[in-house]
Amino acid sequence: MEEVKAKMSRYYLAWAKDDAIRKKGANGGFVTATLVSALEADFIDVALVVKKKSVYEGIPVLTNDPEEIKESSGSLHCVPLNLTKYVVEYAAKKRIGLPTKPCDARGIIEQAKRRQASLENVYMIGLNCGATLHPLRMREIAAYYGLDPDSVVREEIKEGKIFLVSDEEGKEKEKWMKIDELEEKGYGRRDACKSCVTKIPTMADLACGNWGSNDEKKTFVDVLTDKGETLFKNAVDSGYVAIEEAPGKGIETRQRIDAGMQKRAASWKEKMDALKALSRSERFEFYVDALKNCIHCGACKEVCPVCACEEDAKCTGLYDERDSYAISMYNLVRIFHLMDSCIHCGQCEDVCPVDIPLTLIQRRFSERMQRHLGYTPGMDVTKKPPLYETELRWSAEAE
Amino acid sequence: MKTNSSICHGCSIGCGLYLVESEEGEKRKVLHRTTSPMNEGKLCRFGTDLHTYYERETMINSVDGKEVKQDEAIKAAKESLKGMKPEELAFIALPGTITNEEIVSFLSLAAEFGCENVSFGFERFFGVVPEEAAYIIEKGLPFSEVDGASKIILFFLDPFVHYPLLARRILKAKKNGAKVIEVSFAKNERGIADETVLVVPTEVERIKEKKELFEDSLIIGELTPYTNPQLLSFMLWLNASTASRLFLLKPFLNSTGAFLLGKDSGRKDLFEILEGVEKGEIKALYLLETDLAGAMLGGEGVAETTSKLDLLIEQNAFRTHFDTAGITICSEPFFMKKGTVVNVEGRVLEIGGESEKGLQIMESIGKGRKYEEVHEEAKKRLGLGDSEINEFEIAVKREERKFEVAEPKIEKEEGGGAGEEYFLWYKTNPFFWNGIRAKNFVEISPVAMKELGLFRGDEVEIAQGEQKERIGFKISDLPQNLVLSEAKLAIKPLQGLLTRVETRRAE
Repeated sequence: MEEVKAKMSRYYLAWAKDDAIRKKGANGGFVTATLVSALEADFIDVALVVKKKSVYEGIPVLTNDPEEIKESSGSLHCVPLNLTKYVVEYAAKKRIGLPTKPCDARGIIEQAKRRQASLENVYMIGLNCGATLHPLRMREIAAYYGLDPDSVVREEIKEGKIFLVSDEEGKEKEKWMKIDELEEKGYGRRDACKSCVTKIPTMADLACGNWGSNDEKKTFVDVLTDKGETLFKNAVDSGYVAIEEAPGKGIETRQRIDAGMQKRAASWKEKMDALKALSRSERFEFYVDALKNCIHCGACKEVCPVCACEEDAKCTGLYDERDSYAISMYNLVRIFHLMDSCIHCGQCEDVCPVDIPLTLIQRRFSERMQRHLGYTPGMDVTKKPPLYETELRWSAEAE
Repeated sequence: MKTNSSICHGCSIGCGLYLVESEEGEKRKVLHRTTSPMNEGKLCRFGTDLHTYYERETMINSVDGKEVKQDEAIKAAKESLKGMKPEELAFIALPGTITNEEIVSFLSLAAEFGCENVSFGFERFFGVVPEEAAYIIEKGLPFSEVDGASKIILFFLDPFVHYPLLARRILKAKKNGAKVIEVSFAKNERGIADETVLVVPTEVERIKEKKELFEDSLIIGELTPYTNPQLLSFMLWLNASTASRLFLLKPFLNSTGAFLLGKDSGRKDLFEILEGVEKGEIKALYLLETDLAGAMLGGEGVAETTSKLDLLIEQNAFRTHFDTAGITICSEPFFMKKGTVVNVEGRVLEIGGESEKGLQIMESIGKGRKYEEVHEEAKKRLGLGDSEINEFEIAVKREERKFEVAEPKIEKEEGGGAGEEYFLWYKTNPFFWNGIRAKNFVEISPVAMKELGLFRGDEVEIAQGEQKERIGFKISDLPQNLVLSEAKLAIKPLQGLLTRVETRRAE
């Protein structure tokens, strides 16, 4: 029987002891087992998980039912959902445990800085993230593989490949292709994910994944915070999780994969930047041309994980439909407002009804500003946003 | 927290979404459903705000203004309907929030009482469209046809205002190399078109001179109860006399379902029914999920007309703009419904709810069938066979046919009295987005602003006879004498397209 040492090492390989959880969950079901154990030990009141409806669809569920948590286990790359706003809504009333992609965790941290959520009430079990895919693009990939999209029962991304398993009349068929090859052909990950350089959620309490694990039924766990340590210890001590120390080779492998992914992301970012070769006036034309299609539905603001404004926001308040500016005040204010806080998650572009390349536009403005300010949003809750607009309140209450 | 998969009922596209209910089951918000093939998770302004639509005051069950139990209201409705002569009865349902199953039930309820005055809002066009061209008004086209079109004609339609989820398809078609031409009274402010055929309001007929533009195109227009039948004839003529296809968007989600399921039933034009009520020929009206006074132009007049009825029965989830209904019966909000609709692409979509309440209200008055029986009948009449409902399939397909239409003539707008130098054009139809984010301005040209002596912050007064409206304005790049409105004004277009109005600076 393993016991977590008094002074913890940081890296472990861990897996669920329960056969069913280990089988159903990704990489041995550590995340599911940890959430269930946290619930049973009363560390959390509820778990916020994404319940699988199909390979292509999942819905957010807030639950205190261990069985529902178990049902939600397993990989789900086709649900490009950010859970930040649900945490904001419920963390004031409940202690929440949830699996977080790096962009979920970064959103939650930015909201915590803006006093919209208390991190004391939030346990973030981070998931290493290579990418998410738009579900309809995954259906296209299935069709490209020669599979009936409706017959796909499992998906997995590993070793730089997208694996799909279909079940047609009881016969399972597995097909895969390298992500790079798929993306060259126009299929693949969301643009925001392709260019994302934050692959390991080092800002969460734990960071989990298969990178560095020598067994597909073991999760490589990085214990990052005291809260993470508490969760981890509890999962082990309560008998839900078995562990072993991560081998040095695994740690190196994980670092190597992360570095490789970051390099590829940087290269995609260059490749996708349609504006870099343009002159200043051409760039202005690009922005005007793209943003003129905006119908001001407000969806981008609604889903933005770092936007803490409510209905009476500057972007909506200063916008008047009767104005005829080349770029509306709504869009201008949003661009300026997000310059120090945009985490480039692409949620805004996902919901834009007229397909404005918002990830690219926001990135063009915010990345430069964040570099200039030496500030990366969503990475560290103790770092105050440099352009925080309520300086006095921050000073008075936080320092 | 409960996440319900649902369909937006804002127009005939039927975008998929989720409605997330709070743990208390009260507060709702919209979550984008990326798996939906209609909209890929994207929503327009109405869809994004859909939860606020469901926050309205719920309907009560009442008889003669007194709140009663639902059974009593149903019983009173049944007894009252029995007491009417068939020709004195009318049934109206604008098919925005009704399922195919409810349509089947509604039609059989009307038939039960021998009523042939049934309207789903589009009956005025039955006489205009030749039998062999009926498929064009009944069925739309899959959006993949828009994506892949090489030439698109936007016929008096601004997709950003009318159907934003269509706009992205047109932008996609443009990326794929399509040429987009707009035929309109004013240039699209977002410049979606590569070419604009600007039509002078008094010279609509001159579009005929540009007929060759329509060759090999996909013509996209709109059909609403207010569409000028002459304009529909014109679109059909352009379609019939060129190698083109015609795709008509509609403001009501289940328009296709209503067209196809109501085909063999006794039908009467909505406006004729209202005229019948005005004349006292129609004495009883059953309104299914239809707030006529709230949705139509000149709603107060509609309410006044219906006050002449001996019997008004309203079946609705929410309170309407009528306060004269003798019997009101409370049904469930759309997202709670069990049932199906057919979107403009021909996809059969499940609403996502579990409730059969609305259907059972009608079945309690009528035949008393179970949901499954009605559902099977709807499937049969839609020609769906035994196949499972799958949102990824275009289950209701259309086949292009050859047909002939006589060369139409567009009558010039009536009016033209002293001071009527301006034309009012409704940029959208009044059934859209009823009650949500109403606009508080009209658009006028810079020349008009100068001529009318307007300054920023002023208001304009638009008048048509006795009807007057005072409203803010926006300056747009428009022909000098055009007033564009997305706001629902008290002024009715004389022939559905535009109308002459007096415009002046409001004092």
